Amino acid sequence: MEELFFIQHEVMPALLRGLLISVELIIPSALCGIVIGVVVGVLRVFGHPLVVRLANTYVLIFRGFPLVVQLFIWYFGLPHLGIYLSPFVASVVGFSLCSGAYHSEYVRGALLSIKRGQLLAAQSLGFTKLQMIFSVVLPQAFRRALPGCGNEIIYLIKYSSLAYMITCIELTGEGKIIASETFKYTEIFLIVGAVYLVLTTIASWMLRRVENRLRLPGFDHYAM
Amino acid sequence: MTNKESVLRIEDMTKRYGQKDVLKDASLTVDEGQLKILIGPSGGGKSTLLQCINFLVTPDQGRVWLRGEEIIRSRKRDLYTYRQKVGMIFQDFNLFDHLTALENVKIGLLQVKKMSKKNAQDKAVYELDRVGLKDHMYKYPAQLSGGQKQRVSIARALAMDPDVMLLDEPTSALDPELISEVLSVIKDLRAHGMTMVMSTHHMGFAREVADEIVFLEDGVIIETGTPEKIFTAPECDRTREFCSKILELYGS
Repeated sequence: MEELFFIQHEVMPALLRGLLISVELIIPSALCGIVIGVVVGVLRVFGHPLVVRLANTYVLIFRGFPLVVQLFIWYFGLPHLGIYLSPFVASVVGFSLCSGAYHSEYVRGALLSIKRGQLLAAQSLGFTKLQMIFSVVLPQAFRRALPGCGNEIIYLIKYSSLAYMITCIELTGEGKIIASETFKYTEIFLIVGAVYLVLTTIASWMLRRVENRLRLPGFDHYAM
Repeated sequence: MTNKESVLRIEDMTKRYGQKDVLKDASLTVDEGQLKILIGPSGGGKSTLLQCINFLVTPDQGRVWLRGEEIIRSRKRDLYTYRQKVGMIFQDFNLFDHLTALENVKIGLLQVKKMSKKNAQDKAVYELDRVGLKDHMYKYPAQLSGGQKQRVSIARALAMDPDVMLLDEPTSALDPELISEVLSVIKDLRAHGMTMVMSTHHMGFAREVADEIVFLEDGVIIETGTPEKIFTAPECDRTREFCSKILELYGS
């Protein structure tokens, strides 16, 4: 009975509070990540050679540095330059930039899969490069990139747990605090893990719905 | 030298890939309503010539005039405007896979010509009807046969009201029984006075409808003449050899 009381009045409110912060971290990071990924992916395929190099360097760095280190730099490093980010903002910035680097790779792959002939056809109709990218290439590439990008979003949900390392106390952070107060590590982290499982399940379900929504004849590869 | 009647004129078009000249000093004048057919062995430069004309391939040398006005391809605006006036039909159709037949025809009108939605819709339906595909306009490319896809691509090019159309082996990716539906559309265009340059291996078709035949080999225009002359009394041995071989293979 005492146990139940404890869970109801101590554990649940804390975890719920954490969950809310987690969701607040994940949603903007996922959206910014996708936008960055699409822009950088397009630049890497269609940009001026100089821009391509710049974009490639961005991806190299943000995929190469461990995410925790990136978060430390945003939170503990930037103040040396006189820039102070709150733990929450530093986390969102860190997640978005890291996620964007990975997304750009999926987007790039999808862009390269568009047949060159369609680009020629667009050009032959008098399309400018920008018109061609926006009305011919991206709508197709986005559909092709979606499974990969979805994968990255699932990852993001889980690596959002790193935010507590820079004192943005989200789900994992709250869990850790309660666990160390009560020494009930196993129980608490089982619950925390289950909550992430629920989050990723919801996300996969939503992504699948988007995929179905965007499905067109000729793009449903799995209908063999 | 400049012919007032000519729709399209190209001069000394040259394209090199590394050391190899895939096109060498090709010159061509296409008059209003004329159908010019390029023949010659594969890899002879027919596609390169056609793609150099609207600068899908950047020629190393050569000048192009449309209705007497030279096209300066470094002026992007001029280049885009010029391309609107030159319709291009590709061997493998190159329809936009994510758009229906109707949207494929409409997209250029909306994006490039900035037509209103209503006008673009009407125009697209009209052009699809013209190639006999009004009943299929809501289908996606993946749901159309090769011949239908090629007819959509013709409608897409026609919708832009081009001054001249370039057709790059429009039937060579089609099953034999689908070829005639595309050829008959082309014949119909010719009857309506469309100016065209087309490459093909259909000698029978070339002989029947071409105003002039251009024989191209190793990137060089070997011989030019009426179908009569090219098929019955070519000046060059090479032309004769090629024509007889092809005729033997496909019949006339």
